[in-house]
Amino acid sequence: MKNKNNNKGSSSQIKWYKKDSAQAILMLAPMLIGFFLFTYAPIGYILRYAFFKSNGFKETFIGLENFVRVFTRDLPYWKSLNNALILTFGKLAVEIPLALFLAVLLNKGRKGTGFFRVAFFLPTVISAAIAGLIYSLMFGSFNGIVNEILQSAGLIERSINWFSTKGTALFVVGFASVWNNFGINMIFFLMALQSVPKELYECADLDGVNPIQRFFKITLPMIGPTFQVVLLNAIVGSLKMADLILSTTNGQPGGKTEVVMTYVFKYFFGYDGRAIEIGYASAMAIVTAVILALISSIYMKLSNKLGNSY
Amino acid sequence: MRYLRTKKFSSRVLFYLVLTAVFIVTIFPVFYTLMGSFKSNMELLTDGGRIIPSKFIFDNYKEAWKLANFKQYTYNSLFLAFFIVVGTIITSTVAGYVFERGNFRYKNIIFGMVISSMFVSLGSLTLYPQLMIAKAFGINTSLWGVIIIRVLGMNVTNLFITRSYIRTISVEIDESAKVDGCSFFRIYRSIIFPLLKPLIATLAILTFRFAWNDYLMPMVFTLSSPERMPLVVGIMNLKGSGAAASSWNLMLAGSSIAVIPMIIVYLIFNRYFIQGLTAGAVKG
Repeated sequence: MKNKNNNKGSSSQIKWYKKDSAQAILMLAPMLIGFFLFTYAPIGYILRYAFFKSNGFKETFIGLENFVRVFTRDLPYWKSLNNALILTFGKLAVEIPLALFLAVLLNKGRKGTGFFRVAFFLPTVISAAIAGLIYSLMFGSFNGIVNEILQSAGLIERSINWFSTKGTALFVVGFASVWNNFGINMIFFLMALQSVPKELYECADLDGVNPIQRFFKITLPMIGPTFQVVLLNAIVGSLKMADLILSTTNGQPGGKTEVVMTYVFKYFFGYDGRAIEIGYASAMAIVTAVILALISSIYMKLSNKLGNSY
Repeated sequence: MRYLRTKKFSSRVLFYLVLTAVFIVTIFPVFYTLMGSFKSNMELLTDGGRIIPSKFIFDNYKEAWKLANFKQYTYNSLFLAFFIVVGTIITSTVAGYVFERGNFRYKNIIFGMVISSMFVSLGSLTLYPQLMIAKAFGINTSLWGVIIIRVLGMNVTNLFITRSYIRTISVEIDESAKVDGCSFFRIYRSIIFPLLKPLIATLAILTFRFAWNDYLMPMVFTLSSPERMPLVVGIMNLKGSGAAASSWNLMLAGSSIAVIPMIIVYLIFNRYFIQGLTAGAVKG
């Protein structure tokens, strides 16, 4: 009798289990379909088209020709990749130390720090495209406020035509990008700093450690893991920059400020009067993805010491 | 003693001086844009050195709203953001719940595939195939295409946030509901979802920021139909058009229309912004 009951119980449990798992799958199904359709299928699409020549209507199989073209005949592609690297490392060399410095200041908990924290984060909520628009107005050659300020301060004699040379144009883009992003990194650092035990600093104070030693010997190692992740996100995010370039220079002058994402994008969509070359764009997309993955993994290898610093 | 006190005082002065300098550089572009939106186009083109407009012109807004289609753009932005926010809240919480509490075959494999998409993601490089797939379903010329891709595309960060949040809810609640005859879905709807309120606020804010500011995807979905463009796309469209130089006043009025709601939302809910970002990026 007892045995029978037990059996009944477990079989109904199995029924329950089956019903629940069916429901779980049903609940997840729309997302799974959407996910495979819009995340994995596009990757498959690109992998296929990389071996074709296609303008969106007609396609012919051309084997590895697209890849041969990327590696041997497309200097502008590599220049655009180089620009993305220059821009990324140039801007992060300012952005990351600035964010960390401000986080350390704000972590002192003096009066008014809450106000400054809210203010510094504010540019982060503004669209990168709009940020680009604002900066191209501010750095305008004839009517820009930046030229006016520099002139009235006596720093320059004539207005600088910021967007006419590669160097100055990339400087403006980098400036805008730092403005648009430093707040987020600052918040990450601030959170990490707040979790550093106060006792460590107290001990250090007793030992007579100076502020610079304190920063490099205690603060930096303690926030190492956060630092590693924040820097990775910042590097990958900056290499993938597209909106800001499209809304400021759009690759001008003469394609010299094109970054890799906008360069490939324009081949896909024939933006800016370029011919649509889906096959070739797909091949470039694959090469770019592999390069980004390589950069990330090299970074992770090199920065492991930072991540495991305590 | 006095030496120490003056040293402390001067370090405090330095502290506020540095922060104020950064504050000015941070806020100035926003302030300049807002002020610029009241300037005449003539003043914008010839007298950019002036910060406060010589005469406040409110017609820029009127003109942008009525003639330059910004009324429609604003409506589109609200439409896009609303459905993406609501949809994302549902899909993220459902996905987080199913992956945390559900039991079915291949769960871990599926979860692994979702997570690994984070590493193969190509960003804007998959926009074209996404558009083509949307075309196959006939949703490539409306904002619904963007909404469906964003909502069903499973944002890995959101998934991590909800999953770890649901983990903190005691499993005993589920089990006692099960004993009372609640089905798996019913537990989600009546028990888990209501308990997620604080998280939902965070999700809503982050998703709103993302949807409202998104540029490239809505742009490629509305290339041929300007009447469907959201604000950011509409403004950029104006910049790319031949009349760019003569419409700075409209672009700035438009930018203000795009930026002000976002800033207000941020100032009211800034706590949630910061919570959500840190939960997603560092702990996730």
